Amino acid sequence: MPITKEEVRRIADLAKLSIQDDELERFAEQFQKILDYFTQLESVPTDEDDATYHVLDGENFATPFRDDEVRPSLSSEDALKNAPDQAEDHFRVPGVIE
Amino acid sequence: MKIHELSIKELRGAIKRRELSISEIATAILDRIDEVDNQIRAFLKVDADSLIRQARELDRRRDTGELKLGFLTGIPIAVKDNIVTRDMETTAGSRMLEHYMSPYDATVIRKLKQDGALLLGKTNCDEFAMGSSNENSAFFPTRNPWDLTRVSGGSSGGSAASVASFQVPAALGSDTGGSIRQPAAFCGVVGLKPTYGRVSRYGLIAFASSLDQIGPLARTVRDSASLLQVIAGHDSHDSTSARHPVDNYVSQLNRDINGLRVGVPAEWFSSSLDPDVQHYVNGAIRTFEQLGCKIEEVHLPHSKYAVAIYYIIAPAEASSNLARYDGVKFGYRTGEYPDLESMYRHTRSEGFGEEVKRRIMIGTYVLSSGYYDAYYLKASKIRTLIRKDYVNVFNSVDIIVGPTTPTLPFKIGEKNDDPLEMYLTDIFTVPANLAGLPGISLPCGFTQEGLPIGVQILAPHFKEALLLRVAYNLEQALSVRPPQQPSSSSSI
Repeated sequence: MPITKEEVRRIADLAKLSIQDDELERFAEQFQKILDYFTQLESVPTDEDDATYHVLDGENFATPFRDDEVRPSLSSEDALKNAPDQAEDHFRVPGVIE
Repeated sequence: MKIHELSIKELRGAIKRRELSISEIATAILDRIDEVDNQIRAFLKVDADSLIRQARELDRRRDTGELKLGFLTGIPIAVKDNIVTRDMETTAGSRMLEHYMSPYDATVIRKLKQDGALLLGKTNCDEFAMGSSNENSAFFPTRNPWDLTRVSGGSSGGSAASVASFQVPAALGSDTGGSIRQPAAFCGVVGLKPTYGRVSRYGLIAFASSLDQIGPLARTVRDSASLLQVIAGHDSHDSTSARHPVDNYVSQLNRDINGLRVGVPAEWFSSSLDPDVQHYVNGAIRTFEQLGCKIEEVHLPHSKYAVAIYYIIAPAEASSNLARYDGVKFGYRTGEYPDLESMYRHTRSEGFGEEVKRRIMIGTYVLSSGYYDAYYLKASKIRTLIRKDYVNVFNSVDIIVGPTTPTLPFKIGEKNDDPLEMYLTDIFTVPANLAGLPGISLPCGFTQEGLPIGVQILAPHFKEALLLRVAYNLEQALSVRPPQQPSSSSSI
């Protein structure tokens, strides 16, 4: 399927990225080439196969939930120290309610 | 030998015999960094004051008899800049995190500190570990110590180059699709990617969480084993870290490998393999034969799909992991924003470099409605077939041997215009990540021009002790010597 500049813009929107007009064409060309390379996968038979999301099986490699108990965690001071903007122990962002 | 040229083993012996103080080692390392890193540019940050302080404190405790010598006590270790450290900035090679100070240490950092290692600085890497050349660092590319016009490899190029140019005896890197092994091959050092889950990923800035793994880079196999010994093990902070017991990696190195079954994948020796790479890797395979191993041709029929499925799965996971960089909790925030939506957009567009944006968009595309089944689900199913290929092969052989990279280290700028061509350089390294296998690259020769070549060995899950023993036997038998010193030192 051909990748148009509009399609690149749509994907960038989903990813919360702004792509300049002069970059759109280059990204479109590159995506086309990369997606064309992916087409080789279409011919691989996989109907019988499960997908792999985690490579190890067995109880040693399970990822169980831990017990829901209170443990020490980051202080709000530490959690906020890298914040671009903060106020009164909170992260501050532009208003979201009009 | 000069202090900065000593291995971990030699430094440890000198400390033990009190021939060297830890402060002398620290000073020698800092002098060496001053001497060569303005050309190689392996480090994003060197904290000289902290290094000297750590060394003096260890010397003081040594004098009062309080110091117990671990594997790495008093040994300077460099850390790839996508592993978080409380005492030093962690940027992941990105403008997005340019001044980021982590509120906590990664588990591997905590373990290094507990063992008495000296943490001296953070090494350069491709932005968020996305790259095969180090050219995607937002700050500058790290150069290859053997030829400054060539790339150091990626994404752990800074770690590999710092070790190769004798600036530090060992370093930590991370490997998502070859990011430890490929720069190790390009820089002529040993690089080990452990089994997925062998080393805690807590504090490794996430790129592709089902593939990422931290591991050591060092100048010898033995030093790599020492470093793995310290960092391996289950960690309650990483639910994907394995409860599997940790072997003794160092004590088994000397055992011979007579009778070992060595598999050589036919698919890895095509006509597109660089002739020099082919020549020296074949030499390593003959050496295994001389060591009493049985060489068998094996087949990995799905390995030809590995790059394609890697560049679906890794960007898919990255697009999710990197959603956190939104200018709210930490990292860069754009200067001008009328509303929340434009704050997100401008922050991400200004903070991320081009390759990171490209991968976020590829990942977003392959996960998006209407394309998920054709790309992400399909790739995840073929991933199963790749895993099965290895399970089958390891039924008949103990280890697999082949090249680490299809080419010699390429020129800086050579592959910048074509992302796909750059991706294809990962062809021999991505399968180990997709299957979760441990893999090691070690030097098997130098070309006449003095460029290093790496041979890769893969082993079944959690067989790092075997992998390291095989690599050690090969290293001792090959006894690879470079035709000249790294260019930076001969020119000084």
